[in-house]
Amino acid sequence: MKLVGIAGTVEEVSYNKKLLQFMANHFSSQVDIDILPIEGIPMFDQDNDQTETQAVQYLNRKIKAADGVIIATPEHNHTITAALKSVIEWLSYRVHPFEDKPVMIVGASYYDQGSSRAQLNLRQILEAPGVNAVVMPGNEFLLANVKEAFDANGNLKDGKTVDFLATTLLKFTKFVKVINTMNDVPVQTDGAAEEEDLMAQHPVKTTVKDVDMEADDWVEQAAKKTNAVDGDTYVKLDRGLLTVNQLNYFLNTVPLELTYADDNNQFIYYNRGQAKGKMLAPRKPGQTGDPLQKVHPDRAVRGVKKVIHALRTGTDYVMTPVPGWTADKAIIHYYKAMHDENGNYAGVNESVFDVMPVVKWYLKKSGQLLMPDPNAKTDAGASASVDDSASAGGSDTGASASVDNDSASTPAPAPDMSADAGAGASES
Amino acid sequence: MSKEMKKFVALVGTNTKDATNRKLLQFMKQHFAGQADIELMEITGLPMFDKPQDMHVPDRAQAMAKEIDAADGVIISTPEYDHAVPAILMNAIEWLSFGIHPFADKPVMIIGASFGSLGTSRAQEHLRQMMDAPEVHARIMPSSEYLVGQSLKIFDDEGKLNDTEKVAQLEALFADFQQFVNISKELWHSTQVDKELLDNRNNIKA
Ligand SMILES: Cc1cc2nc3c(=O)[nH]c(=O)nc-3n(C[C@H](O)[C@H](O)[C@H](O)COP(=O)(O)O)c2cc1C
Repeated sequence: MKLVGIAGTVEEVSYNKKLLQFMANHFSSQVDIDILPIEGIPMFDQDNDQTETQAVQYLNRKIKAADGVIIATPEHNHTITAALKSVIEWLSYRVHPFEDKPVMIVGASYYDQGSSRAQLNLRQILEAPGVNAVVMPGNEFLLANVKEAFDANGNLKDGKTVDFLATTLLKFTKFVKVINTMNDVPVQTDGAAEEEDLMAQHPVKTTVKDVDMEADDWVEQAAKKTNAVDGDTYVKLDRGLLTVNQLNYFLNTVPLELTYADDNNQFIYYNRGQAKGKMLAPRKPGQTGDPLQKVHPDRAVRGVKKVIHALRTGTDYVMTPVPGWTADKAIIHYYKAMHDENGNYAGVNESVFDVMPVVKWYLKKSGQLLMPDPNAKTDAGASASVDDSASAGGSDTGASASVDNDSASTPAPAPDMSADAGAGASES
Repeated sequence: MSKEMKKFVALVGTNTKDATNRKLLQFMKQHFAGQADIELMEITGLPMFDKPQDMHVPDRAQAMAKEIDAADGVIISTPEYDHAVPAILMNAIEWLSFGIHPFADKPVMIIGASFGSLGTSRAQEHLRQMMDAPEVHARIMPSSEYLVGQSLKIFDDEGKLNDTEKVAQLEALFADFQQFVNISKELWHSTQVDKELLDNRNNIKA
């Protein structure tokens, strides 16, 4: 595994540099850590774009090519150094090498709790939209009282600290595998997926004409245009009869975040049951009616096209994991194809949910524990298995658990995009 | 300038020429000209902070510290880069807390402008955290978030804020800030102790 290490400082003498150097030497049989100095990277300045300089391009290329990144950060004034922040700004401006890149944060400081604030801060910065790294959750490696920590040869003196660092690094290597497998969902090669029109320019029978799809009040405008019913008016359903109000009560309490994207790739409904800010996949009221392209970041567009194309051409459902699974949280997007009574494609029924509360409840009720599967093929289709990401996320339930054969043979982990697309129209 | 007019340093938290955060401070300077003397201070021209072993602080930082020392308070306007304070402003604060302590117990008001609608709320939070660090030790005005979203559209051709609600909010906040400066002057008991603590910490570090 090829990693790059960045010490977040331009000080000549730095314990964070020492820590990285020690990691590179001590763990050289497990991972290849290439240390990238950040000296000589100028202060970020929008009016003097340095993106094309050798120094910035060098970092850009190295990070892009690496499987993962380790950042060792000091703490200045409760935060990271300006020097490191400047580097991240260059690498989130015109180029974005951190995008989807697994990152582990460590830190060394003079004092006891030192660098914990800086680490937290760095995590927030790395997860900002322009940077978009995937920071390993849960783990913090803080090396305190650094002045006494190293011997004359630059080795960490305390065996327990070395063991803990080894465990953290092992978790990170697993995390890197899981994240990178999620990132390379194989593309369908025939290119047909590219034809999906996410701007929703191909109206269908149900498309409401002459209303601006991107208007914040698209729902109100479209409702007026179609004389849509609301309130206590009854609608007949398959199978039942509800008022519109009742239908809303019902849909808003389904324990899933539901989204309806029609066969013209227009986002026309979501169940607004969750309190704002609590949604796993946040949607805003003004987005309803938007073409799908407008509600996804550019980098997601290719993946969205693939999923929709698969559903339109016969795949029953597609499941994709949201990067960053832990033992407490494993969010899934489940896309199910919808069809009319004649079997014509009618759009996507998307649900977003966190499987872990149910998994935990099931384990508790059935008296079982999760354990890592020693035979798991982390780089095959089953990459995103619960056990793997659980241990990658630093769970202790996953690591220490034992289990009988029964639960080992409980249903397979989420089929991911690749497994599913291959399975074609298999009815489940 | 009347006698009781207070002097404020307005720290421009960016090196961008057309920054809306500078416009915001320029607007304050003009708008409050009858109430206070607000002088803009740029943060460019400092080397990248590298914690030199000899503790040498560049002349430019020394000069900035002197001006801040002489002011009744500091207004900082920060952009938001990657959900945080821009490196250039972090760098200035690093120099201005390295063996010198111009911000110690200085009343500080934090504002910020951003292109998006969230208006630098995360950067301001980040800045508060930094200004509250022991080496900086500013007296940040509490409960005073002032966010300017959509900052590219909010200034007219003469550099005036075109949103009357935002102007009213800023006027109220600035009135509070001046009051806060008065109150802070009464809080001198801990100042002496704090200064000693800071000096001690520096001795440990050296
Ligand atoms: C590298 C970089 C990152 C940015 N990140 C953010 C951000 O996280 N949040 C935000 O509101 N604007 C962000 N912006 C956009 C604007 O620069 C920002 O809104 C700023 O506050 C505008 O202030 P100014 O006009 O004073 O430069 C970013 C810009 C750059 C160059």
